[in-house]
Amino acid sequence: MAAKAKDKMRPGKAAASAAAVVLTLIWVFPVYWMLSSSLLPNTVLTATTPTFFPAGGSLNNFAAVLSSGTFFAALGTSLAVTLIAVFFCLLFAFCAALAISRYHFKGRTSFVLAVLFIQMLPAEGLFIAQYKLLSSAGLLNNVLGLSVLYVAAVIPFTVWMLRGFVAGVPADLEEAAMVDGCSRTGAFFRITFPLLAPGLVASGVYAFLQAWNEFTIALVIMQSEASRTLPLWLRTFIQASATRETDWGQVMAASTLVAVPVIIFFLLVQGRMTSGLVAGAVKG
Amino acid sequence: MKRTIAMAALLAVGALTLSACGGPAATTPAADPSAAEPAGQNITLWLAGGDTPDALREYLKTEYNKATGGTLTIEEQSWGDLVAKLTTSLPDAANTPDVVEVGNTQSPTFTNVGAFADISDMYAELGGDKLLQSFVEVGKVDGKNYTLPYYFGSRYMFYRKDVWKAAGVEVPTTLDEFNKAVVTIAEKNPNNIKDFSGFFIGGQDWRNGISWVFANGGDLAKYENGQWTSTLSDPNTIKGLQQLQDIQKAASNAPSTAKDESPWLYINDSDAVTNDDGTVTETSFNAATIMAPGWAHWSIGDLVKNDEGTEVRQWNSDKFGVFVLPGNDGKPAPVFAGGSNIGISAASQKQEGARELLKIIFSAEYQQLLGQNGLGPANSDYTSALGDDEFAKALTESASNSKLTPAAPGWATVEGSMKLEEFFSKVSDGGDIAALAAEYDAIITPMLNGS
Amino acid sequence: MKRIQITPYALLTPAIVVLLAALAYPVGWQFWTSLTKYGLKQQFGQPPEFVGAENYAAVFTNPEIWGVIGRSVAFCLVNAVVTVLIGMGLALLMNAAAKAARLALQVAMLLAWAMPVVAAMTVWLWLFNWHHGVINWLLTQAGVDMTGHNWLEDPLSFYFVATVIVVWMSVPFVAFSIFAGLTQVAPEILEAAEVDGATGWQRFRTIIIPMIRPVLMIVLLLQVIWDLRVFTQIQMLQDAGADYTSTNLLGTFIYRTGVGAGDFGMAAAMSVFVLVLTMLLSAPYVRSLMKEEN
Repeated sequence: MAAKAKDKMRPGKAAASAAAVVLTLIWVFPVYWMLSSSLLPNTVLTATTPTFFPAGGSLNNFAAVLSSGTFFAALGTSLAVTLIAVFFCLLFAFCAALAISRYHFKGRTSFVLAVLFIQMLPAEGLFIAQYKLLSSAGLLNNVLGLSVLYVAAVIPFTVWMLRGFVAGVPADLEEAAMVDGCSRTGAFFRITFPLLAPGLVASGVYAFLQAWNEFTIALVIMQSEASRTLPLWLRTFIQASATRETDWGQVMAASTLVAVPVIIFFLLVQGRMTSGLVAGAVKG
Repeated sequence: MKRTIAMAALLAVGALTLSACGGPAATTPAADPSAAEPAGQNITLWLAGGDTPDALREYLKTEYNKATGGTLTIEEQSWGDLVAKLTTSLPDAANTPDVVEVGNTQSPTFTNVGAFADISDMYAELGGDKLLQSFVEVGKVDGKNYTLPYYFGSRYMFYRKDVWKAAGVEVPTTLDEFNKAVVTIAEKNPNNIKDFSGFFIGGQDWRNGISWVFANGGDLAKYENGQWTSTLSDPNTIKGLQQLQDIQKAASNAPSTAKDESPWLYINDSDAVTNDDGTVTETSFNAATIMAPGWAHWSIGDLVKNDEGTEVRQWNSDKFGVFVLPGNDGKPAPVFAGGSNIGISAASQKQEGARELLKIIFSAEYQQLLGQNGLGPANSDYTSALGDDEFAKALTESASNSKLTPAAPGWATVEGSMKLEEFFSKVSDGGDIAALAAEYDAIITPMLNGS
Repeated sequence: MKRIQITPYALLTPAIVVLLAALAYPVGWQFWTSLTKYGLKQQFGQPPEFVGAENYAAVFTNPEIWGVIGRSVAFCLVNAVVTVLIGMGLALLMNAAAKAARLALQVAMLLAWAMPVVAAMTVWLWLFNWHHGVINWLLTQAGVDMTGHNWLEDPLSFYFVATVIVVWMSVPFVAFSIFAGLTQVAPEILEAAEVDGATGWQRFRTIIIPMIRPVLMIVLLLQVIWDLRVFTQIQMLQDAGADYTSTNLLGTFIYRTGVGAGDFGMAAAMSVFVLVLTMLLSAPYVRSLMKEEN
C-alpha cells in the first residue's frame, strides 16, 4: 500500500473518487429513504414537505410489523425455499457445467441453446399451467413444490455462469495431483473445488436473490396464509385493505426486515463474491 | 472421479423427486380425512382484504365450531390478487376454498362460468327479500341464486366546512348546485393554495365518476334481446359525462391518471409551513371536497397524539362535514355501491359445512356485528345497527338509491382490462366525449357477453 | 479411444430432469392452449374448442399488439444499453477511485441489489409521487416548479421513470461483473501502453475493451433478455396511476390478457409469439456467441 501512496496525488484519482462518492449517494438514497421512513409515523410521510432525517423517529413501526408474528413464519418459508433452491440449483448446474465445458458430446450445442432459450419464455403466461402441475402433484402451498419451480427458473443462468469457471480450471491440475498420490475424489476436493468456490458463490448469490425476491409465481402457488413467502407477506402491508389506509411507515419497516437477511448473506460471502465474479466474467 | 460426481448427481435428483412425491400428504391443508363426513367438516373461508375486523372473524370461528364441531380456517386474500387466485383455485376440487368473498362487480363473471354452488334453496332462510336486492341480482343466473350480499358501503361526500364557508357556498340540495359550488370554491380558492381543488376526483376514478352518469339517468350497459351492449353513447350517459368533464376542468386539479386511492390525504391539513411574510400555508391540504366510502372518516381529521404517543387522525366536526351527493329529483344521487358478495365454491367437497357457515353469516347476530363495525349489513332489518351518527346516516341515505355496475357475464373482464379507467381519464383530459364513447362502446360490448 | 461417453449425459441428467419436471407440462399446455379458444369457462371445466391458428391470426392483425411489441423492444434495447454503459462507467470508476470511495460505492451497489423488488418499487413510486414525492419537492426547491407534476401521466415520462428504476436495479450486477473483468487487466500492460504514449481513450479502446469483451457480450445479452420480460416494475407503476393501453409492455399485456381479462388462449398465443420473436431477434448474436464458444 505504501508504494501506491503517490497515486493519491494524481488528479484523475481524486476526480474518480469524487464521482464515486456522488454516485454512491444516488444509489444509496432509495435505501436510505426506506430506512429513514421506517422510523417515522405515517402522518409525517404523506406530508408534501419531506422529512430527510428521522429525528424523533421510533421503532414503533417495527414493533407493529413484528407483533402479528407472521413475519417469522414467512421468514422460515422463504429461507427454506431459497436454501433448497440455491443448493439444488448449484449442484445440478455445476454438474451440467462440468459436462458442457469438459466434454464434447452429441447434443452439447443443443443443450446450451436450449438453456439460453428457456430464459426467453414469458413467465406471465405460465401461471395457470404451473398451478395445475403442482396441484396434480399435491405440491401446492408446499415449500418443495415452489423450490422445484425456482430451481428450474434459475438453473439456465447458473449453468451459463458456472460453465466459464469450470472451463477455467485446467484438467491437468487434477491429473497432476493424482500423480502425486491423491485419489480422484481427493484431487477434486483439494484442487478443483477450491478454485471453483468463487464461481459457486457468485452463482449462489444470483440464485439466492432470484428465489428470495420472486413474487409472481409464489402468489399463485402459495395461496394459503400459512405458506406465504416474505415478498407475499410484504405485499399484505401494501395492499392492507380497502377500509384501512396503507401505513407507509410499516411498509418500509417490513421492507427493511425483508432486506436484512440478504444483506447478512452478502456479508457472509462478500470476500468471495467479487473474486467469483472476476473469474466467471473473464472466462465467460 | 467424474463417474462419482455423476452418480452423486443422479442420487440427488432421485432424492428430490422422491421427496416431492412423498411430500403432499403431510403439508397440504386440503388433504383432510374428514372430508366425507357431513358434520365436523373443517372448512376454509376466503375473505377479501382486511375489511372484516378480527372480532368478527373470531365470532365466525367460534360459532362454526359450536354448530358443527369442525374448524373454520379464515384466509385473507388481498383485493389486487383475488381474481388471479380465484381463477386458479376455485375449479380445483382438491384446493378450493369452501366459502369465498368476492367483490360485487366480480360476482357475475364467476357465477356465469359455474364457479359457485346453487344456494337458491337457502335463499329464503338466509334473509330472502330482506337482502340488498341489487347485490342479490349480481349473484343470480337464470333465476337461481349463487352468491348473496356480504356487506355494502356506499360513497358520499366529505368536505371542509371552513373552506366552503369562506368561499360563500352552502351544502347543496341538488346535483346542479353541487356542480356549481365546487367550481366556485376552486375559483375563489380562499386559502390561496396552488392548484387547489374544489372537488378532488381523479381522472381514472370511474367508480366515483359514474355517479354523474347514473344521476342523469345514464348507465354503463344494458341487456336487450339476450345481449349486453355498452351504453356510453347513450344521450343520458353523455350528459353525465359532460358534467363530470366540466367539474374535472374547472374544479378538480387531480391528475388525469389518479384513481380513487386515499383521497383523504388532500382534505386533511397535513403540515403547515410559515412563509417569510408570516402567513401560513398548509402544504398537503389540496382539496375542499372528496368522495369516498364511509370508512374514510377514520383517516380524516386533526392530528392528535394517542395514548401510545403516536399521531393519529381525530375527526373534528367544526372543520369537517359529510353530505350525500344529491340528485336533481330530490332524492340522493344514485352512487356506486361498493361491497362484496359471498358464495360457496361449486368444487368444494364440503358443501354441508359451507352451508352451515352461510347460516351463521346471515344470522341476526352476525348481521348486527357487521353494522356495529360500520359495514352495511346485507339484511335490511339490521341496518339500524350502523348507529345514528352522521356517518351512519350518510351511509344509509346514500345506499338507499345506490346502483351497481352491470351484471354482465363479462363485467370482470371489462374491469380487468382497465378500459374504463382509460375512458374516464380521456374524458377528464377534455377529449371529445361522443367520439370517445363510440370508440369505447365498440371495445367494451364484445367483452360484456363473455366468451 | 472412440467410445460413447456416458458421463456427460449423466452429469446433465439432474438439470434436464428438473427443467422437464417444472417446464415440460406448462410449456406444452401453453402451446396447446394457444391453438384453442380458452377462456374462464374452459378454466372452469368446459372443453376448450380447437381453433387452429385463429389466436395467432388475431395476434398478427391486432395493431395494439404490434404497438406493445415495438415499445417492448425499444424499451428493452434502451434499458439494456443504458444499464451496460452506466455499469461499465461505474466499474471503471471503482477501478480508478481511491480505496475508501470504491468501498463506499460497492456497499451502495450491494445495498441497492439487496433491496427486495417490491420494496424498491414502493420507495421509487413514493419518490416520484405527484403529491408528496421527494423528486418534485427537490426540483421545486431548485427553482423548477414541479408542484403536483404527475410523472406517470405522459407515456414518455412514464418510460423515463421506468428506465430510471430498472437501470437503478440492474446496474449493480453489471457493474460488479465488469469490475471483476477489469481487475483481470494486468496493470503492467496499461503502464507500458502509457509509457508508449497511448492516451486514456486509446488504452480504453485497444486494451481494456478487448479484454472485457466476453463479459460485455454476456451481460448485454442477459440484460436484453431480462429487460424484454420486465413485468413487476411496469405493473406497479401502472397501478400507481398511468394510462394502461399506451404503457403496456409484453409482460403486463400478456398478464392482463390472460389473468386480467380471462382470455388464456390469446395470452398463450402471445407468449409463444414472444418466445419466437426473442429467438429470432437474438439469433445473430447467439450465433456469434456460439462461434466464440467452439
